[in-house]
Amino acid sequence: MTNHWIDLQHTDCALIMGGNPAENHPISFRWLTKAKEKGGKIISVDPRFTRTSSQADLYAPLRSGSDIAFVGGMINYILENKLYHEEYVKNYTNAALIVNDTYSFDDGIFGGYDEKTRSYDKTLWGFKKDENDKYVRDNTLQDPNCVFQLMKKHFSRYDIDTVVEVTGTPKDAYVKVIEMFAETGKPGKAGTIMYAMGTTQHTVGSQNVRAFGILQLLLGNIGLQGGGINAMRGESNVQGSTDFGLLYNNVTGYMETPTSTPEEATYKGFLEKVTPKAGYWTNKPKFYTSMLKAYYGNSATATNEFGYQYMPKLTPKKDYSHMRVFDSMYKGEIEGLFMFGTNPVVGGPNAGKEKEALSKLKWMVAIDLWETESSAFWQKEAGANPAEIDTEVFFLPACSSFEKEGSVSNSGRWMQYRWQAIAPKGKSKGDLEIIHMLALRQKELYKNSSHPAAAAVKALDWNYGHGEHPDIDLVCREINGYDTKTKTQIAGFKDLLDDGSTCSGNWIYCGFYPEEGKNHSKRRDNKDTGMGNYLNWSFAWPANRRILGNRASATPDGKPWSKDRVGIQWDAAQNLWVGNDVPDFTKDRAPKDEGGLSAFFMLPTGLGGLFGVMNEGPFPEHYEPYESPVTNAFSSVQLNPATKFGVEEFMTQGSAKDYPIIATTYRVSEHWQAGAMTRNLPWLSELVAYMFVEISEELAKEKGIKNKDKVVITSARGNIEAYAMITKRFKPFKIQGKVVHQVGMPWHFGYKGIATGGSANHLTPHIGDANTNIPEYKAFLCDVRRA
Amino acid sequence: MAKEYIKYVDVTKCDGCRACMVACKNWNDLPAEPEEFQGSLQSHAKVTANTWNVLNFIEHENSKGDLEYLFRHSSCFHCTDAACEKVCPEDAISYTDFGSVVINNDKCVGCGYCVQNCPFDVISLATYKDKNGKEYRKAQKCTMCTDRLEEGMQPACVVTCHPGAMQFGNKEDMLTLAEKRLSEIKEKFPNANIYNPAGVGGTHTIYVLAEKPSVYGLPEKPKVPTSAVIWKDYAQPIGKLMLGATTMAVMAGFVSNKLFNKGGHDHGQDEEGGDSDE
Repeated sequence: MTNHWIDLQHTDCALIMGGNPAENHPISFRWLTKAKEKGGKIISVDPRFTRTSSQADLYAPLRSGSDIAFVGGMINYILENKLYHEEYVKNYTNAALIVNDTYSFDDGIFGGYDEKTRSYDKTLWGFKKDENDKYVRDNTLQDPNCVFQLMKKHFSRYDIDTVVEVTGTPKDAYVKVIEMFAETGKPGKAGTIMYAMGTTQHTVGSQNVRAFGILQLLLGNIGLQGGGINAMRGESNVQGSTDFGLLYNNVTGYMETPTSTPEEATYKGFLEKVTPKAGYWTNKPKFYTSMLKAYYGNSATATNEFGYQYMPKLTPKKDYSHMRVFDSMYKGEIEGLFMFGTNPVVGGPNAGKEKEALSKLKWMVAIDLWETESSAFWQKEAGANPAEIDTEVFFLPACSSFEKEGSVSNSGRWMQYRWQAIAPKGKSKGDLEIIHMLALRQKELYKNSSHPAAAAVKALDWNYGHGEHPDIDLVCREINGYDTKTKTQIAGFKDLLDDGSTCSGNWIYCGFYPEEGKNHSKRRDNKDTGMGNYLNWSFAWPANRRILGNRASATPDGKPWSKDRVGIQWDAAQNLWVGNDVPDFTKDRAPKDEGGLSAFFMLPTGLGGLFGVMNEGPFPEHYEPYESPVTNAFSSVQLNPATKFGVEEFMTQGSAKDYPIIATTYRVSEHWQAGAMTRNLPWLSELVAYMFVEISEELAKEKGIKNKDKVVITSARGNIEAYAMITKRFKPFKIQGKVVHQVGMPWHFGYKGIATGGSANHLTPHIGDANTNIPEYKAFLCDVRRA
Repeated sequence: MAKEYIKYVDVTKCDGCRACMVACKNWNDLPAEPEEFQGSLQSHAKVTANTWNVLNFIEHENSKGDLEYLFRHSSCFHCTDAACEKVCPEDAISYTDFGSVVINNDKCVGCGYCVQNCPFDVISLATYKDKNGKEYRKAQKCTMCTDRLEEGMQPACVVTCHPGAMQFGNKEDMLTLAEKRLSEIKEKFPNANIYNPAGVGGTHTIYVLAEKPSVYGLPEKPKVPTSAVIWKDYAQPIGKLMLGATTMAVMAGFVSNKLFNKGGHDHGQDEEGGDSDE
């Protein structure tokens, strides 16, 4: 989130799209209810009339997989009718920059496309600079090659009539949505966009989010209290996980994992490659070296490139994301697997095939609270023949969050410490303890080894107290960072250095433990410090800022856009930015100073990216999902041209002829992800006890299905059984003149636990987004019949 | 004397999260009892002896043809004139000073008169086994967390309600809140109403409903059944069924005495149309 949960109360209008927070993030409605009481509006855009829709002022349906068409049409309408926030757009976005004339777009394809590798030459999408290396601007926004004009041209194709033919949204509802949300483009108003996996789990997932970004920049909604783009995370600590380098291509703090290419052969070469020439990321070497010092301690010195050579390197052009890992596993390239709290046999795309891949492993270590469908993949009840499976499976019982201490970071980037409530049950242990014990044993095993791999293990600085139980306070101190000589805590990331004199396990969290005895994630001061930011409650990265980009909450000359909505403002007397939040800006850089308008200072331009380089282009473009019942109305390119394909056996694709119905998956309040943590709890299992599929009354009639009937849902990947839930909340769509049905189902179920049922992911396709490779769980084709 | 309280439920703020259901089971230590698939998100057809509140999910098309997805936290109403209290032959059901209606399980013999006479169908019998394996029954329902009220706390469901759809407080304050809320939502929901039925002397769980009571499966004008009707048509045959004819014969005089001696409580206005006596 750019903002945070409590801040939702300040919104004038919340556009909720690709999420169903009333059901999946219920706490948001505590704050949205307050916003409503103050006259705020809620818009719900969803294929299905959800519990969120029931709380909304306006509901508009759209077919799963048509988000870019929907938002693209909003962008076009706002541009055509000049509903954008002109002063904001001119000053804080890259609208005025001139794009190099190597940029082009024709029939769904941008210039520089290579069909063979399904990728673009992204260097063609740069900005023009003058002889002094300054960006060329046209502040009138009239130059045909300026971002504003190129954007206008690109989205001019997204006229209302074409859009509603693609999305299936009733025209009047669509226009109402645009007009209601565009109201927030007036200076002083703030609108928020709230989204979740309904936005991201598509072959165009990242561009769906980019479209939100463009919309919010045009309306001047980023950086404001009550504004922003707010990704509602699917777990209590997903934010923390990605902050701490969970993704394969990131180390901590969103910095790059090195790749074994010639240019990255040395630390110097690596830093040159990953450090931009302008913007705040120019400080990256300080953060990276401090991280290496945290990893390797005294074994990291200037003479050995701070231990850079100890780091594992990615193989060039190899994708290590979830689906590609399972591809490799299926091909027998992976010997062993550690599964920490993950259950791909329920949660993975084309889950039946992923289950098959598990049987190619030599060994698996499953760490979970319960035996899951994945750790039990070899058992008879999983439909397997144990005699035919050679995988050796180890199960390590983990304890729950209530049985250990540590922090979780919520969607609003708040790192909140939690204390142990009860001792772990039986022999279960916390993840940290399990990893600690593993590390100690590995170090012991490699102690006298001369194997090349031993050097890295030996160099690893692992000093978290004595014995098998790690001292978590030492872990916290290292995450924050300290002076490597004096061991005094570092006050904030601005003090990190690239000479090895500081260490910091995760630069974005540097400052959460700034001095002895002050772990800010433990703060619980519930006094409102202003505008509901509660600055003395926990710690928000970076630097305890609650709203990112908050320089843009003020006019170019530093005054709040509205007196009722003060983020930060320039105090000329003190020569400081002051206000209700920690300035997300150099605190004494005056509006008139060089860079005084660079609200988005992480980027080299300092400007919000209306034009932003992604794997499939600098502007979002609508493509159909991998499986779609219609052809693309915007171009002759059906599928995202940069989406990658994996192993053929996983790539099964169904056609509309065999599978005419659109399917989507979602969650319910009562169950957690793949279900192990909730389907084993009686009080939650009784609330949602059965797998179901929601079907419109119209489709039910066509298929002769009655409410509560058992039905079979089939896709090109497999079939599952479920109860039919006939509902008025799904309605058939009219797409390009034909009637298209959609059904939806939860994906929590499996055969283990108290509440059991068919796993929806046995139906979902093994393909994903062109940038992140998140699977396309949210739009695929199926058929439904009576069981 | 303790103050008279009301649990005020504003269904228009409820988002159907069902934390109230889990909080209730947690505080009252009630077992899970999965029912068959209901054909909607609703988990249980109605409240039972082990499930004291149930979130009702209703899909309703209003007069304009717009779809409304309505939710209602349903549990005991804690009537001012509680039919259950009137018909109980064992004096096991009583009013507390807080306004809640509670069942004394030590006195309850499981006869089921209260179950049959509750105008809202919120009492059920739970079956237990004694140490000799002999089955016995007790009437069970929401207590308004009277044990919590006695400690100065609020009901578990209210405390857990994150959008503030439920509030608990002084009777007058809650009624004022309900009136205020009604005026706010009338434009969006022209059929909105406060459900605090006069036929039972008002209740201590009151609602602001977005639609007519019948849309939520609630009686439009619930009443306390007259004693005679209770006795003749319901209590006697059911009592016989459950307790056996001999026991019933002994009970009969006892019960009827009890009932007819309660003139002060038994307003008996229901036959005339059930208008409020407040």
